Amino acid sequence: MKFILSVFRFFHHRLFVMDDRLILILAGIAAGMSSGLAAVALRLSLEWSLTWLEAYRHLWWAVILPGAGACLSSIYLEKGVRECAGHGVPEVIYAVSRYGGLLRFRSTYSRLLSSFLTIGSGGSAGPEAPVVMSGSAIGSNIGKWLKLNDRQRVTLVGCGAAGAIAAIFNAPLAGLVFSVEVILGEWKIVRIIPIAIAAVAGAEVSLAIVPEQVLFHHQPFDVGLRDVMACLCFGAVTALVSIAFMRVLRLSGTVAKQVPLPFWAKAFLGGCAVGVMALGLPVIMGEGYHHIQAMISGHFSLGLSLTCLALGLKMLATAMTLGWGGSGGVFAPCLVLGSLTGVVFHSGMTALLPESGFAGQGAYALIGMTGLISGVMQAPLTGIFLILEITNGYETILPLIAVSAVSSTISHYVEPASFYFRELIEKGQFLRPGTDARILADLNLSEVVRTDYEPVDENMVLRDFIAVIKTSSQDYFPVISKGSGAYRGMIRLSAVRAYALNPMMHDMVLVSQIMDTGMATVSWENDLGDVIELMDLHRADALPVVEDGRFGGMILKTRILDLYRRELIMQTSVH
Amino acid sequence: MNYVLLHIFRNTPFGRETFLQSLYFCKCIQARPVVYIPESDKFLFYFDKDTVQVDLDRSYLTSAETAKQNAEQLFEEMGISPSFYTPKNYTASTLPDISTRFDYLCCPRSVSDVSSKIGLGHIGARVRRIIQHARFPVLITSPVFKPWKRIAVLFGGSENAVNALNLGLKLSMASGVDMTIFTLKEKEEAHYRKIVKKRLPEGLGEQAEKDWLFFDRPAFEEMLYAIPHDALVVMGAYGHGPIKDVLFGSKLEKIQSTIGNPLLVIGPESRVELRP
Repeated sequence: MKFILSVFRFFHHRLFVMDDRLILILAGIAAGMSSGLAAVALRLSLEWSLTWLEAYRHLWWAVILPGAGACLSSIYLEKGVRECAGHGVPEVIYAVSRYGGLLRFRSTYSRLLSSFLTIGSGGSAGPEAPVVMSGSAIGSNIGKWLKLNDRQRVTLVGCGAAGAIAAIFNAPLAGLVFSVEVILGEWKIVRIIPIAIAAVAGAEVSLAIVPEQVLFHHQPFDVGLRDVMACLCFGAVTALVSIAFMRVLRLSGTVAKQVPLPFWAKAFLGGCAVGVMALGLPVIMGEGYHHIQAMISGHFSLGLSLTCLALGLKMLATAMTLGWGGSGGVFAPCLVLGSLTGVVFHSGMTALLPESGFAGQGAYALIGMTGLISGVMQAPLTGIFLILEITNGYETILPLIAVSAVSSTISHYVEPASFYFRELIEKGQFLRPGTDARILADLNLSEVVRTDYEPVDENMVLRDFIAVIKTSSQDYFPVISKGSGAYRGMIRLSAVRAYALNPMMHDMVLVSQIMDTGMATVSWENDLGDVIELMDLHRADALPVVEDGRFGGMILKTRILDLYRRELIMQTSVH
Repeated sequence: MNYVLLHIFRNTPFGRETFLQSLYFCKCIQARPVVYIPESDKFLFYFDKDTVQVDLDRSYLTSAETAKQNAEQLFEEMGISPSFYTPKNYTASTLPDISTRFDYLCCPRSVSDVSSKIGLGHIGARVRRIIQHARFPVLITSPVFKPWKRIAVLFGGSENAVNALNLGLKLSMASGVDMTIFTLKEKEEAHYRKIVKKRLPEGLGEQAEKDWLFFDRPAFEEMLYAIPHDALVVMGAYGHGPIKDVLFGSKLEKIQSTIGNPLLVIGPESRVELRP
């Protein structure tokens, strides 16, 4: 028995403790498969719900269906699971960058049900972000159960997100790239391997449950050089659509905040507005995968003017759904808008240049999706890899790169923050590894503060103070009141020189007469960013920490630099 | 005055009793109370290994416009300068992250149950999760404020009980009140004395042993009855899971539902330094 135990301990130590790759791969597979299951469950239930409700869409009261769904969804989120509205991706990025990927257990399921209610009833939103949230939370909680450290837990969050995207689109590479490009923001070998395996696991689970179902089918495209040239212009068009979409989303949210109604009433109104808009144009409802499929295969029946109208209304419907309290993400709406833009662009081009022989409408619908993903999420690689995997080949690679590059560049120029990052950037919480803000956020003030500074009494004469200096290595001496212990000021060693060289002064001058009472102070509640700002403002090399009038320690610029360098090396190391 | 206690303020008569206990605790051990007046009915604690969402009942948002004023008034009555906590980070727009870098946290017996149900009822699941993950001890207040005049440490010989003993000693030194150890004997007395001698610094062990009461095993209720009514009870908690709780029962639940004293509970992640 002892022998078996010692063999087990040996292998356990070798495989799991000394090298965490195996445990990360195994846990990553579990996270990928679980998020794949969640993705398939949501996708199938949405299909069922939308098909079931289709029979009632012609009835007059069907306009309130999306309203009822959004209303129920908001009540469930707010009162049932006590979560905040929104798609959740910024929350995942925030947890990854600030708290080592710690996500609540309730997030593993909360957004799935709420987005099912919103989208399943006809609301215009995508299931991808809720599934990413759910998958990430599954990964995070697996990490918690296995008592993994922050770095390992963050990897599992990435695994969950990758598994979710991979399962929805049957696109493991897109899942991997989305996870690294959007969620983690860093390419490290040690992370990429488990995430790639998790993405494959997610996709395989999806295929195992629904083997015959590939989300988007397409015919081979004949893409030529003229299409590449046209795509430079198409990229600009998708960028404009992306910018308009982001602005409409933001405006809708701002307007909704100003409406003095309860949250559920706002969600109801937003949903009903979608119901009304969808009366003549069902393409704007739900996640829109079927309509995307119609556009890719060239069977989209709307004319140019109606397609343009659908493009505008889809933006508005998504804004009314998400901005007014419904639940879901913008990934699928981006795909629908991209396809619609592709159809409009293709129709316009063929009308202008009928003999030029451009590739089919389906090719532009697919390329348009990349344009919108690159523009709205500013995630060009995700867009490129998603379409590459959907088309199962490289025939569209050049136009994809052209559209993606132009769209993300123009969007970034006009709207520097992507849809996912904007909220975090506005709050100063966009902390990517290796950035100044992240390093400062990761350093704890208590690590920086030196508490071993010996204070001196305010009534000490200069002679006694000089005796203290002789045996001390301090450059700064906090002055305190002997009776109350209150902080009075600071003496800088350089400021004493003039008095110290004049022996006449030694018994005449008190410490309280030569101390600096105007030196800026910081409190324990300040973060390191505030401290550095204050140091720059006052051109100070050191600042005292004073709380409730009491001296708590000194912060030295040299100490900050040491720790900053250590943290920077850790965050930017290859592994 | 380097220690800081976080108090989640509730602007109700029950909340006043809780807050008075926080203020009194801080005054006794010379700590600084910091008050958080909730702006929404939920907030998050990010601990090292877990995140706990605290869902408050609506009474925490009662008369928000007078909350600060009422808190300041109570600060003034106790002669402590007011200090308020403002969250800096938000996980979502209505979900603030509350710092976990405090030395103590004050909790009513449940933070997620309505006042009427609290009494000596169950400790909420959230409070238990906080205790399980926090690096700071949690002050679980009694329903009504009553100044405590001594400290009672429940010591069972475990690692966490040693922590609780350290904490009791530290508080006793800081506040100048006497400390009594209460032990329910599961082994010989010598076993417990040996642990104290081994784990506590020289001098402090003897000081701790001065007032030590032992009770024979079935007399758990008797031991609880022997705890003075005006004592602050300090104890360790394992924070084991719900299955073990159902099977074996929770000591913490049993104690808090039997005695009306304020409890100071130290969890498995918390470590107490014995510095005055």
